[in-house]
Amino acid sequence: MKRPPRLRERLLRTGSSGVLSGLMLLLVASSAARSEPAPSFEDPAARTRTTVLENGLTVLTLEDHTTPVVSFQIWVQVGSGDEARWTGIAHLFEHMMFRGSERLPPEAHGRLIGERGGRVNAFTSRDVTVYFDDVTSEHLPLVVELEAERLRSLDISEESLESERQVVIEERRLRSEDDPQGRAFENLLALAFQAHPYRIPTVGWMSDLEKIGVEECNEFFRDYYAANNLVVAVAGDFDTEELLALIRKHMGPLRSSDHIARNPQLEPEQRGERRAVVHFDVRAPILAAAWHAPPTGHEDGAALDVLSSVLSSGRTSRLYRTLVYDEQAALGASGAYWELMRAGLFYAFAIARPGVDIGRVESLFFGEVDRIATEGVTQAEVDKAKRTLEVDLIEGLGTAHALASRIGRDMVSFGRIRPLEERLSEIRSVTPEDVQRVAATWLKPEKRNVVHVTQPPEASQ
Amino acid sequence: MSRKLASFGMVAAAALGLGCAGLPGSLSGEAPAPAAEIPAWEKPPPPPRDAPVVDATKLHRMELSNGLKLIVLEDRRLPRFDLGITARRGASDEPVEHAGLASYTAHLMERGAGERTALELAAVVDDLGASLSVASTWDSFNAAVSGLSVDVETLFGVLADVVLRPRFDADEAERVRAEHLAGLERAKDEPENLVRWALYRALYDGHRYGLPIEGSSESVAGLTPELARDFHASVFTPSNAILFAAGDVDPAALKRRAEAAFGAWSAGETLPVGPPAPARTPEAVRIIVVDRPDLGQSQIAVGHEGIARADERRIAVQLLNTVLGSGGFSSRLMGRVRADEGLTYGIGSSFGERRSAGPFAVRTFTRVAETGRVVALILEEMRRMIDDPPDEIELGKAQGLRTGSFGLGLETSGAVASSLVALDVYGLPEDSLDTYRGRIRATKPTDVASIAPDLLHPERVAIVVVGPADALRPQLEGLGPVEVVQP
Repeated sequence: MKRPPRLRERLLRTGSSGVLSGLMLLLVASSAARSEPAPSFEDPAARTRTTVLENGLTVLTLEDHTTPVVSFQIWVQVGSGDEARWTGIAHLFEHMMFRGSERLPPEAHGRLIGERGGRVNAFTSRDVTVYFDDVTSEHLPLVVELEAERLRSLDISEESLESERQVVIEERRLRSEDDPQGRAFENLLALAFQAHPYRIPTVGWMSDLEKIGVEECNEFFRDYYAANNLVVAVAGDFDTEELLALIRKHMGPLRSSDHIARNPQLEPEQRGERRAVVHFDVRAPILAAAWHAPPTGHEDGAALDVLSSVLSSGRTSRLYRTLVYDEQAALGASGAYWELMRAGLFYAFAIARPGVDIGRVESLFFGEVDRIATEGVTQAEVDKAKRTLEVDLIEGLGTAHALASRIGRDMVSFGRIRPLEERLSEIRSVTPEDVQRVAATWLKPEKRNVVHVTQPPEASQ
Repeated sequence: MSRKLASFGMVAAAALGLGCAGLPGSLSGEAPAPAAEIPAWEKPPPPPRDAPVVDATKLHRMELSNGLKLIVLEDRRLPRFDLGITARRGASDEPVEHAGLASYTAHLMERGAGERTALELAAVVDDLGASLSVASTWDSFNAAVSGLSVDVETLFGVLADVVLRPRFDADEAERVRAEHLAGLERAKDEPENLVRWALYRALYDGHRYGLPIEGSSESVAGLTPELARDFHASVFTPSNAILFAAGDVDPAALKRRAEAAFGAWSAGETLPVGPPAPARTPEAVRIIVVDRPDLGQSQIAVGHEGIARADERRIAVQLLNTVLGSGGFSSRLMGRVRADEGLTYGIGSSFGERRSAGPFAVRTFTRVAETGRVVALILEEMRRMIDDPPDEIELGKAQGLRTGSFGLGLETSGAVASSLVALDVYGLPEDSLDTYRGRIRATKPTDVASIAPDLLHPERVAIVVVGPADALRPQLEGLGPVEVVQP
């Protein structure tokens, strides 16, 4: 209902930082009439230190004493894109990581951190599984030992798996089955990807969730939770030498693996538009669409980000102006580049106003996309988009958690910490011609995948 | 698994019992546990390092010539800032027949101010990569901008225009009203909204709290720009507002700007606060099913009246609620309903602390067939808070959680400034943040035990469930008569 979402979360995924210490950045102002040059400031992540232990564990440390807070994160390089026989196992397994180990009962890890006021949680995506503990700094030694404990001696019992399976099934019902937007995205990804494992919903299909067993979980743990498949990212208030000593002591003995299995990643070329309809009890029909786009790190990435901003950022964006303001056809509309490590998508999403035909929303939406490909964008639009992306990058540096996320994500995506300067210069070099070119290259009408979520026919009569 | 297992002594005992090899699913070939060393979780926690919440040298409290208060929190780490004005009135204070007026007024204030039309105002903000937001809560009304510090002058001007000179143009008002109505319709597509709204109505029908903060389709249909203009004028007065800034700003320069922009703002008559909510609701058990035959999961809310924000028992209530349902995996409800029984993905309890007593509610969801059992567990845990209140160990964990998460939640200067402003809205002492951890730690098990019977009323709750009525009715009838309503 409010302004279309900014691109902060996604930008952080492609974020950047540097091992070059003391690098001063100068944000170049856009040429938009009222903006002035942004001041220079130091990229906080530039002081990140990378240490690789003998077992292959990568440890990123970013010591910063501004607030007495530490974020300790473990980036496991496995996601639902690595699933083979059992869909949903990466995410179900993430839950099992909280269900006890040799010396701790189920949920003790979460309780021990919670009772010290910390935040503990995890998430699974198509590419990674990330565990984090955000605590005030006096509790960091406990965090290191708790994380080492479960990585060393996770203990999955039949009883515990049975109970957690039901939890995950409720999560699937909540987010995918009984939620119209969740249904839209699940169908969209299954439509856009025919062969690529990204077609699998990260939460998994119900019939697999009902059957995954203890043996499958143990196998998954052995295959992917090896020291050389993990990146530990720590940012905040600690002493680097003390922390590294603790990590060496508790995580140095973790096993490594000489083979980490990966799925084939080939998606056949899409030849023609694909469509699907999902019936659901909705007053406001939903349009979800996607085009194939390049993976993280592609040279068109920055231009696709600028294109996303021109389409979707703020009330002056093209989609807001046409669909929400002028035509009053939608409650909200956004189109954005979603980059993943092995393939990307450019998605379109709109919620129609109740009573408005979803076909009308679709033709307005695609009309705006096609107009960029054929007529291009203005220099003023590109300048505004660049400024927005720069501000988002700066605002994403404000907490220990955000910093640890940035360095962890950079390392698993690029194998290094990308300097903020590098990311900014990519954005700054985008021209209006680049934006038109990437729209024409990637967002072709015959390459669309389109999903409508609408009332079933009998209910709408 | 007992929730007490996580206490230090008990963890050691459990580890001795469970830690042997050969359990189903244990993994072989792993490194052995570090021998003969006490793990960190069995040692007493290190003494807390209570860093000061607010660095006194960075916090500046000032007042303009017309009495408008100004709080500035300097934080030069990043070249950005937050700036806003909060007024001490909100949705609670609008007439119930105009429910949604505060929210509508807020949207309309974003649509044109001073010399700028809606799109011109949006353009000046978007060109700077900045943001502008106006929103109301139950008890406050907030207009704020954020952006790069080099743009402070422009954005200060935008804020002053939005607060002092909103245009309330008729054609924008019609767009906002249409969006507002469409948004309310769309919100009914989310079962979580249906359950919250039905609970509000069950508890507070006839009072403003009985409708969502955004209002209802009926009330919003009658909103006009004239109503918004009057509401704005009686909410935003210098004696009823506080100006705040956090981030990369110079306090003296900011005060000069504030004096120039807001110094001539004259006092108008301030809107009176709305009528208090009922002190006891419901009088007896009420069971309401919102029929959605297509859902596989039921959404559940169980509640009754709660406490006001300024209630003297608030600290003890927070601890009680942490133990019951707001303490994540350390809470009794999460331990029982999710961790032990796998009946839900999430469950929590909350007290809607407002100027008057807002709702106490337990919220969760489960597969339809287990709904009756989950409701029974919720009522059982509410009763157990009265019959078996937390002992020193359980309370100690709740205290650790509250004090620690308090510090973590104030990591950014923007969060600290918002908390300071909230104290002002409710007329609470300025040093409340500094004394908070001490007050939490000073609370004793008897303090919590003694308030539990006054705070929790499992014998007279409203039970609201969204899902297929045919399958739900037989599971709930044993608790009382079931009313079935349409979404």
